[in-house]
Amino acid sequence: MAKAAAIADAGLDAAEVGRRVDAVLSDALYWFPVRHHSPNTARHVRAAIAARKPQVIFIEGPFEANHLVPHITDAATAPPVAIYSSYRDDANVLGLNGVASAAADIPARFAVWYPLVPYSPEYVAMKAAAETGAEVVFIDLPHHALIKPPGAGETQPPPEPSDDRLITTSGFYRHLAEAAGYKSWDEAWDSLFENPHDADHEAFRRELATFCCAARMTSDHAAEQLEGTVERERHFLKVIRETLAAKKLKPDQAMVVCGGFHLFLDRGDRAAPPPCPDGIVYTTVVPYSYFRISEMSGYGAGNRAPQFYQACYDLAMTGRAGDIAMDHAITVLRQVRRAGDPLSTADAIAITHHAGMLARLRGRTHPTLDDIHDALVTCCCKGNPAEEGTKLLAAMDVAGVGTRIGKVTAKLGRLPIVNDFHTQLSDLELGEVFGKEKKLALKLDKREPLAARRSAFLHRVAYVKVPFAAMTSGGGDFSGTLFREDWQLKWDPRTEPHLIEQNLYGDTIEAAALGRLREAMAKVGTHAGKTCEQLVEAVNMDMPDLVQSAADACGSAIDADPSFVSQAAALQHLGHLDQFAAFRGLRRDTLDDLLTRCYDRACFALPDAASAPEQEQPHVVDSLIAVAEVVQRGEKARFDRSLFAEAARTAAGVSTVPFLRGAFFGLLCEIRELPAEALAAEVSGLARAAPAVMVTAGDLLDGMLAVSRTSVMLGAEALVGAVDELLKAADWESFLVMLPRLRAAIERLGRSQKESLAGTVARRYGLGGHEDVTAMPGGLSATALVARLDAAVAATLKDWPL
Amino acid sequence: MAKKPAPAAPQPTTADVLREPAEVRYADQLEALRQNDADAPPANWRLSPRSVLLYVVGGKTLKATIGGKPTEVPITRKFFGDDGIVERAIVTLASERALLLVGEPGCGKSWLSEHLAAAVCGTSLLTIQGTAGTTEEHIKYSWNIARVIAEGPTPQNMIPSPTMVAMRAGGLLRFEELTRCVPDVQDSLVSILSDKAVAVPELPNDNMVFAKPGFNVIATANTRDQGVNELSAALKRRFNYVYIPIIGDQKTEVKLVQQRSAELLERYNLPAKLSPSVIELLATVFREIRNGKSTDGVSLKKPSTPMSTAEAIGVALDAALHSRFFGAGEVGPADIARNMVGAVVKEDQEDKVALKEYATLVAKKRAAKDKSWKDFHEALVEQL
Repeated sequence: MAKAAAIADAGLDAAEVGRRVDAVLSDALYWFPVRHHSPNTARHVRAAIAARKPQVIFIEGPFEANHLVPHITDAATAPPVAIYSSYRDDANVLGLNGVASAAADIPARFAVWYPLVPYSPEYVAMKAAAETGAEVVFIDLPHHALIKPPGAGETQPPPEPSDDRLITTSGFYRHLAEAAGYKSWDEAWDSLFENPHDADHEAFRRELATFCCAARMTSDHAAEQLEGTVERERHFLKVIRETLAAKKLKPDQAMVVCGGFHLFLDRGDRAAPPPCPDGIVYTTVVPYSYFRISEMSGYGAGNRAPQFYQACYDLAMTGRAGDIAMDHAITVLRQVRRAGDPLSTADAIAITHHAGMLARLRGRTHPTLDDIHDALVTCCCKGNPAEEGTKLLAAMDVAGVGTRIGKVTAKLGRLPIVNDFHTQLSDLELGEVFGKEKKLALKLDKREPLAARRSAFLHRVAYVKVPFAAMTSGGGDFSGTLFREDWQLKWDPRTEPHLIEQNLYGDTIEAAALGRLREAMAKVGTHAGKTCEQLVEAVNMDMPDLVQSAADACGSAIDADPSFVSQAAALQHLGHLDQFAAFRGLRRDTLDDLLTRCYDRACFALPDAASAPEQEQPHVVDSLIAVAEVVQRGEKARFDRSLFAEAARTAAGVSTVPFLRGAFFGLLCEIRELPAEALAAEVSGLARAAPAVMVTAGDLLDGMLAVSRTSVMLGAEALVGAVDELLKAADWESFLVMLPRLRAAIERLGRSQKESLAGTVARRYGLGGHEDVTAMPGGLSATALVARLDAAVAATLKDWPL
Repeated sequence: MAKKPAPAAPQPTTADVLREPAEVRYADQLEALRQNDADAPPANWRLSPRSVLLYVVGGKTLKATIGGKPTEVPITRKFFGDDGIVERAIVTLASERALLLVGEPGCGKSWLSEHLAAAVCGTSLLTIQGTAGTTEEHIKYSWNIARVIAEGPTPQNMIPSPTMVAMRAGGLLRFEELTRCVPDVQDSLVSILSDKAVAVPELPNDNMVFAKPGFNVIATANTRDQGVNELSAALKRRFNYVYIPIIGDQKTEVKLVQQRSAELLERYNLPAKLSPSVIELLATVFREIRNGKSTDGVSLKKPSTPMSTAEAIGVALDAALHSRFFGAGEVGPADIARNMVGAVVKEDQEDKVALKEYATLVAKKRAAKDKSWKDFHEALVEQL
């Protein structure tokens, strides 16, 4: 009833909708509408194929992956799997190199995934075709044929095609959702088309076709155009025409399985689809996971609860459609019990009963996932779901999504890079991690040969961003232990798909890492800090061939980069490498040369950072501290301490930023080039300045304490005296202006430093140690003292005009 | 179609009643729904679940014969919030389990409970108000002591509780503030909810009272009382909990304050005017203080008082009363401000600081640009 009303409300003529549906359904070529990952549609498609026994089944799948169909339907392949299709524009025929890639000499790359679950109508159709001996032909336009150079003013790439999006933005659907009270498209779909008791596939086909017809007649044509709907449909028609002609088949000997929206394509459109641009196209099938499918969006979009819909399909196929709510309730309760909540079988019964009644109240033929979820919350959550129901909600997610991981037949063969990954895992005795959910903690001492090889491999894997290994500590960066690294290894359903994506960079992990490293080097240009970071990566990944060229690049970048912050970062990276030089077999003379050049450049660049804008000031301060550490740690012969001190003095002299000026003075104090009393003199100098200058004292002190705390505290007496002088000189307004930064400066001190400073203040005011202030004597004398003080206070207050 | 039960027994309709129960106030709507009900109601329900839902969420106009005259009866919305909550509550009432509505004070638990009882069984008056002084007798039955002394315990000398009346009629018992009752008393509900019967050992020949189909319990409990007298595990299992959140969006809250304030003004026969802009200001203030953040992004202290929509309606009514008897008859932002302190500062004087912070950081800034906020700010500062 809601559907008929929505057709009318959307301004459609129901009779016209009926005529169009009849025309499509009576076509000699048999069209079956589907929605991706719909278990009920899959069941009906299977029944339709069994009933019609077509010789060819055209499926809305990537045309460039037709050769993969036998591997997808192979007995050793177990969904969830995904068809992966990538395109690399080596010749820049699309003109997108440098636009869709990092640099003009780096080819633009595009990749698309087409996930398939055991109950995807497309997968079920392929399996049914294999059983009945029908041939399967994918008809969708290769994704790269839709890539267009962005036109003037276009900044966003076009969205990936999505039938769901086109339907849910249609006028018909909006009216329907409002009238029926659907809160989401999933709820609407499940209510309308996931009745597991339906046995008549022809009735289902008509129902879905009518729905899609009304949606298409009221859809957003601009969105269709943007998504390339018409171009894709031209490709559908072209492949169908050509295949039927080549095989000399009549239309009624074939069948089309495609999104319901496409049933109403323009059959008279004879225009050619867009051509595929030249380039490297690669397609394969990879294992996928329910978890990943649940996260997906856009074309090939997943569903909200892959495991739940799997159960729907399995139960409906085995004649137990009535058990879906109960089965899911039990699955969730089992999960909740594991988390420690004692829920009983009686709860499962209540949930099942409640879900059924909710479905009836909501006018549905069967309980949907929304009803089961509501029933679970009502019957099992004893309070606010956001507080008392966290375990239940988590269990509902886990039970709905599932943990299934797919497999791909070995006949397909692994990509070389995937093979290399597995071979290396095996060689490095790390194979046990693969295919398990468990995390493996690995402690490496790189002085041992196996550990050194493992470290290099794991660094490469981490560098190419394959989700598998993460360094938790070590490498000299975190723990200070030079040769130790702690790693955490965990196989992830995304591991293999990510590996496959890396094939665009090379056939082995090393080659891919090398390719990515070169790309990164090209991207960072003459940024000394980032270039040296890549050198560290090259060393960590044990890439001797690249180390020399990276070192050369570092030298050029150091010479060219005028930024103090960047040079300081480079100095840190090189200092890190310096610690490993002998172990890694790095050429000491090259490294020494780079370090010295970098240090000198940093010193000369320092005055240029003297008046850095506010957002860059924290970086300047961090860099000052970093260089100071190198100066204090390094051998005297290598780094000219006086050069740095001179640069800091010059910077302090020219700086117009009080905070940075303070930082430069603090730095000089820290490297013992300036006594702490000189800092105090700077502060007290401001006490005698005009109010407009005096108010900068807070910033000055904040800068000093930002880089030097220990050394400044050595001259705390003088500093306290200077601040005291300042506060006495300041009027109320000036004090208020200075206060926030003065507070911020003091906040930089540690607890013991603050106590020490407080002690200095107390002594200055003749209060001795803080113990004297806080210790309260007991006994009669104390009582008498308090009484005397009380009397004195009362006498004073008496004269006040209160 | 199953035979429809007879209309509800006549209820007090006199104009002298300060607050009519829902079944009286909305008698026309209930009757229109009964006449239009296309589904079979469960045993002893007056309406089908779908019609109960329509009664609570409203949104349709039905043709019916009321008082012998054909008329169109608009079904108004009684509960503002997620319709899914109402659906879950109705389904629970039709199931084996009892219903416990939980939420912050003022979120509408009792209001929903009253309307559900009115629609399902025609009376919302079979009610036990839970307190620390509630005893097992209040829940089960008691005796006319004088007659028992004279005649001994007989069925005629027994005084049935609302529970027993509901059980005998197959109706709904409303149990307000269940968690205010001590655990021993709460547990007397366990056998009623599981056996659907009450034992009367004093009457050897008539020692059981069995519930008729349709009997169920709607209890309410506020989340602030949690931990005071928490339900036993056995009792929890016999209840489905339905949590009612404070209204989530400004538009719905404004609509609710508007509708309920208008009803209350009518009930109190108050000619005072409450303009939409004043209601919007009131709802904004409540919402911002409740959320601890203004729409401009200013972080605010949250008071210990629950800033529910019911409290906002209370402020609107108090402001109208003040305006009617001490003002010009039109409720302005200043009248709202004058009644804010009492609504916010109840148990904890610290809440006054929260209100002061709101006045200084949020209202003052808006006062510079907007006359309503200026009036509100000045009056609030004066009150504080």
